[in-house]
Amino acid sequence: MANIAAQRIKREFKEVVKSEEVAKCAIKVELLNDNYTELKGEIAGPPDTPYEGGNFVLEIRVPETYPFNPPKVRFITKIWHPNISSVTGAICLDILKDQWAAAMTLRTVLLSLQALLSAAEPDDPQDAVVARQYKENLEMFQLTARHWTSMYAGGPNVNTDCDSKIKRLVDMGVDDHQALVALSSYNWDIERATEQLFS
Amino acid sequence: MNTNTPSTSQTADITNKNSLNNITEMNNMDNNMKEINSCHEENDNKSESEQEGACASPPLTCSSMDESWVNAPEFVPKNTIIRPRSYAEALSPEAIAEKNANRKLCPYVNKDGICRNLTDCTYLHGEMCDMCERLILHPFNEEQRKKHRQECLKQHEKNMELSFAIARSKEKTCGVCFEVIMEKANGEQRFGILPNCNHCFCLSCIRKWRQARQFENKIIRACPECRVTSDFVCPSMYWVDTKEDKEKLIDDYKKALSRKDCKYFKKGQGKCPFGNKCFYLHAFPDGSKCDVGPPLRQRRPRNVDNDIDVLQEFLNNLEDSYNSHMTMPPSPQLRQELEERYYRPPPENSNISN
Repeated sequence: MANIAAQRIKREFKEVVKSEEVAKCAIKVELLNDNYTELKGEIAGPPDTPYEGGNFVLEIRVPETYPFNPPKVRFITKIWHPNISSVTGAICLDILKDQWAAAMTLRTVLLSLQALLSAAEPDDPQDAVVARQYKENLEMFQLTARHWTSMYAGGPNVNTDCDSKIKRLVDMGVDDHQALVALSSYNWDIERATEQLFS
Repeated sequence: MNTNTPSTSQTADITNKNSLNNITEMNNMDNNMKEINSCHEENDNKSESEQEGACASPPLTCSSMDESWVNAPEFVPKNTIIRPRSYAEALSPEAIAEKNANRKLCPYVNKDGICRNLTDCTYLHGEMCDMCERLILHPFNEEQRKKHRQECLKQHEKNMELSFAIARSKEKTCGVCFEVIMEKANGEQRFGILPNCNHCFCLSCIRKWRQARQFENKIIRACPECRVTSDFVCPSMYWVDTKEDKEKLIDDYKKALSRKDCKYFKKGQGKCPFGNKCFYLHAFPDGSKCDVGPPLRQRRPRNVDNDIDVLQEFLNNLEDSYNSHMTMPPSPQLRQELEERYYRPPPENSNISN
């Protein structure tokens, strides 16, 4: 069985490498071990989204029963998105769960994830805090997502205001990420973030 | 003079044959066909000996003399050929035709109809069929000729069909394992045809997908590519392109199943949950068929969820049991593999379309 999985990944790997998305630097797959069970994926943040310009790394684990079961995928790069856990990188996407189909491939999965970045589903959230912000204050969500992209995915849009707020919290003795999470969770309200961090 | 020798003997040969033809014609005209078989053979023998004579004996004189010699049909004594006819033969020349038609072809020919000993053989030899290029057509039996031509044509059409089927199947890859199906291991080179869409899978992959219990019924009964639901998978040795071919394949498949006894119905001793939607045969031991009514689920609307599970269970089993209907019978190897892989202790069976 493992044989089918490996054989298929081998074929898919060739397909992805040759695909036009790779040529456009939109997706990328790399092998991490020889038996084709662990791979590293990369997707570019789609244009006209807060993720534009960022590069998001994914962990892909291929189960022995692949392709009859979906690959296990999570974000390694930290990301602010209603359907992706800001803590673990776990993804809530139907095709990676109960809507999987055996004809889907690594390529279609990565493209689906890219589509997910363009079109969030806040009513089926993985991260409730992000989803609430998305629904209540879309502008704030976009600003936050953009800032996460610049901090973790190499995005170009650095928000100096956000940076200075993070720096103030870091000066109080927390690390970058803790500061960013606290500020993001409280709509960049530095007082409430401080309260949460030190209470 | 020596250089002329071959041509002279050739001429002799040809003219000799002409003279024979003349004789036959004459016979026909006279309606004197009595014992034509033996005459024919005698003539054959004679012509050979004459030929031999012509070849062996050095040309004594000029070629004009030779010609005058061979051009002499009168030399063949008539009474050796023309024998008295019986009354019955005189009345019905058809009888002779029939007799000729019933003559057996030489039994010593090889598969191409070529006789090992053509020159000496006194049997009747076949004429060449331009389809199979074998000397197989009976020279006098029109019925045999016609029959053979029909068979030949049929075989030819069959071969053509097969070669088209192979050509269109050769490059097809399975949408699940991505392998070229015709290049898979022995016994795995089978297609699983979904009735409601045209996506291509190998039988083992699509069956495995349809058994994936971790997903909802709706998901696994849908095509992995387009998600169109199909109620069953039809095994096939070759890919089918056209609607007509596909309909025929599925029709043949259902027909083949409908001749096999349903393992749930058990010739009347059991109950089939698929009712009259079952593809298999519901018949009593005496052969009389039985209408078992609609499927179980419709009769017990209360416990719907549970029934769906039961149905799914059956469905999964039924998919497993599509063992034998294909354009070609499975090899013993394949059969064994199918048994090992797909048969489970609960019965093989049946099938539903709901």
